[in-house]
Amino acid sequence: MTSKQEQLERTLRDLRSTVPDVRGAMIASVDGLPIAQTFADNTDAGRMAAMAATALGLGKRINATLDTGDLSEMSVSGSAGQVYIYATGRKGVLAVVAPGGMNLGLLHMEARDTAGRVANIL
Amino acid sequence: MGPMKLVISGPVGAGKTTFVQTLSETEVVATEAEASEDIGKKYTTVAFDFGTINLDGQELLLYGTPGQDRFDFMWDVLCEGALGLTLLVAGDKPEDFPHARNILEFITSRNPVPFVVGVTRQDLPKVWTPEDVASYFDLPSEQVCGLNATDNDSSRKVLIRLLELQLSEQPAAAAGA
Repeated sequence: MTSKQEQLERTLRDLRSTVPDVRGAMIASVDGLPIAQTFADNTDAGRMAAMAATALGLGKRINATLDTGDLSEMSVSGSAGQVYIYATGRKGVLAVVAPGGMNLGLLHMEARDTAGRVANIL
Repeated sequence: MGPMKLVISGPVGAGKTTFVQTLSETEVVATEAEASEDIGKKYTTVAFDFGTINLDGQELLLYGTPGQDRFDFMWDVLCEGALGLTLLVAGDKPEDFPHARNILEFITSRNPVPFVVGVTRQDLPKVWTPEDVASYFDLPSEQVCGLNATDNDSSRKVLIRLLELQLSEQPAAAAGA
């Protein structure tokens, strides 16, 4: 029986091996604390966890205000890449950083699958 | 004068969300998430609380911030264009005062706005008075108010005090009004 932490780290590693172009991914609690992360560069995981929680919280309220159902994900796009923030059950949030020009169809398919696995573990 | 943006900040559990909910005349936009650490309550604000109130014909937009340092980027975001700050501290949690002072310095050093300090939970028997807190923060006594964030009257008085301070700091604008 492996710990939750190991299981979560494995799901992130699996995501990175199926979608190797991904720059990094992390799992945080809905109140903004980092749980697991695979950033190869010097991304500040603590800060990213808080920002992912803020984005998720705001996204949920936007959906509630517009009556557009439950939040599945939200995205932030820049000229050199995108960040996708996925709701993972009641307790967690998954953030995936993709470089510009990535195959987004594959990314979404795999990341949504990862989000489902993370929700089950949490 | 158009709507005036005010920011409500302070440590976790000071009563920021309650303050905005008590005062707002419109439905509050709140972003509370389940707390995963022991902070003395079940939910915590992760983005902001937003409410509005009309005080003697002046439309006020109230933005409550998250309390934890990890959300300090939201303090910056929310303080942009703000014309005043209410810093709330729980009067029964003096251990949070140093953190409150850090938040105050963080915000006012980047965005020097008029501010008041509100000391919440004045309904409790053992609580720091506004006078004690004023001397702790080394502030003039008129800049510190006691309140109970669940009580509309005492919460309104804090905003009125803030507006009075703003007028006294802008004598030209006050004379022109």
